[in-house]
Amino acid sequence: MSLGPKLGALWRLGVAEATAYRASLLVWVLTTALPLVSLVLWHALAADGPIADYDQRAFDSYFVAAFLVRQLTATWIVWDLDRQIRTGELNALLMRPVSPVLHHAMFNLAAMPLRAGLAAPVAALVLIATGGMSLADSASSWLLFVPALILAWLLAFSIQLCIACLAFWLTRASDLYDLWISAYIVLAGYLVPTSLFPSGFGEVARALPFHATLGFPVELLIGRLDTAEALTGIGIQLAWLALFMTLGAWLWRRGLRAYGAFGA
Amino acid sequence: MSAPEPAIVLDGLSKRFRVNQRDPGLRSAIAALFRREYVEVDAVRELSFCIDAGERVGFLGPNGAGKTTTLKMLAGLLHPTGGRAQVLGHVPARREPEFLRRVALVMGQKRQLSWDLPALDTFELNRVVYEVERGTYDARLAEMRELLDIDAVVRKPVRTLSLGERMKCELVAALLHGPEVLFLDEPTIGMDVAMQLAMREFVREYNRRHGATIVLTSHYMEDVAALCDRILVIDEGRLRFDGSIDALVRRIRPLRRVSVRAAVSEALDVLDALGERVEAQVGSVAYDVHPDRVPEAVAALLALPGARDLRVRDAPLEEVMRELFSRNERLGLDEEEGG
Repeated sequence: MSLGPKLGALWRLGVAEATAYRASLLVWVLTTALPLVSLVLWHALAADGPIADYDQRAFDSYFVAAFLVRQLTATWIVWDLDRQIRTGELNALLMRPVSPVLHHAMFNLAAMPLRAGLAAPVAALVLIATGGMSLADSASSWLLFVPALILAWLLAFSIQLCIACLAFWLTRASDLYDLWISAYIVLAGYLVPTSLFPSGFGEVARALPFHATLGFPVELLIGRLDTAEALTGIGIQLAWLALFMTLGAWLWRRGLRAYGAFGA
Repeated sequence: MSAPEPAIVLDGLSKRFRVNQRDPGLRSAIAALFRREYVEVDAVRELSFCIDAGERVGFLGPNGAGKTTTLKMLAGLLHPTGGRAQVLGHVPARREPEFLRRVALVMGQKRQLSWDLPALDTFELNRVVYEVERGTYDARLAEMRELLDIDAVVRKPVRTLSLGERMKCELVAALLHGPEVLFLDEPTIGMDVAMQLAMREFVREYNRRHGATIVLTSHYMEDVAALCDRILVIDEGRLRFDGSIDALVRRIRPLRRVSVRAAVSEALDVLDALGERVEAQVGSVAYDVHPDRVPEAVAALLALPGARDLRVRDAPLEEVMRELFSRNERLGLDEEEGG
């Protein structure tokens, strides 16, 4: 049998779980609303005039887009897999003839429509309050935004998978993810667009995986990148994705060999 | 005609864990930040045995004996550090889909059912991922719903079920794909007696109808005694006994217990010479005697005034198991032996 029906079955169960956890999902949406706080801050700071090439409307657009992209690239395999490895819950998934990694991927993706549905009213309220946002007006930007968003999610998932796999050797790998998140908040363009970073520092930040998972698709969505820049961004995403997927696959294989299948 | 290939083959199977340890207290906690101390634990040491298709086999042994580790290696969850395991012709640790579709593992303390969803949702997922035809699935589910009497609970969120109800649903989830080998790890833990009986009955019925191989670990001796024709005693990672439960009982407690109801009011010197008195109260008496002396004991007990209800039996299973599970006593099972 092909993989399609199995992914479909995982998706359906994932949707059912997401529905059962809708209240938690709403809380998670709100805890990732930091860009909206930044929006208020930068909107006020730009009241007297643009900051670099960002005026108030550009900040509004950027941070509403950042909030939405953050929701659409959400994944939580690092916490689930870390717990499952530590407690032995992973045993049940390992006994099924479908990869536990695919299981997590489909469960995370299955929650996306509901998560987007919960995030949309929040974004709409902000847009009403700020008077709207500017989006990309070229067809090529929109065409490239779709793969950029997909790659951003895959990259976020692969990075979390790599960190979660460390739980095969460490007691609580998800704590390491907090370190990653600390860097992400600064370097991904979550609090400040990376294009406002000082020269030199900005170029480095824009080449890192943090920016590839958030800042890049956001800038593409609000029309701040030309086609050449967009293609470069996708190239950077692909390079990081190849690295983290390879590393994740290696850690997963090695980890299973070290797995203690703890608990009775 | 050559003999059929055994369903399960272990050849020198071993598992060594590297476990970090430290003394209690703040000082050692801080010291462990800089220098971790590890010990190597041989959980399973060179186990070798075969299990034929359709056999019902129980692993017995004290806590930490290596039973569950062995089971997990056979199920493909743990990679052995030495030796070889083969289940239905597959190397379990490779976890090939074809292997996973032919086996199942039920763990009394772990669940595969989604906690906040009805069990039916997980059943449906398993139908698809195990590639079970819709008709076969419907027939199996109907059969198990009837046998386990779970019609009323499969539509409720799993978190709202009692332990027994949940374990019944766990069994269904594990068996819907019709596994040829079923690994059961403490499947009745925490259950009341009625539920334990129902589970045992169901597993035996599954074995009878489908010819599946059953490998069980349990702390409840009754589970093993009721379900398994063959016992493997594992202690300190080694195989100490392989045979029937009767043979195990006679090896550990070779004496037979002879008891009778009788009007007994004084010391029974004649009988005391035959064996060890284990019970003597007004109205009944019991002796543990060597099998060769059972006829003499029977004759002597029947000669007591008012003798009736004479019984000759093995030592009670719980006594045998207490002895077996006690680390302080030699098990008297120095070598693996058939029974």
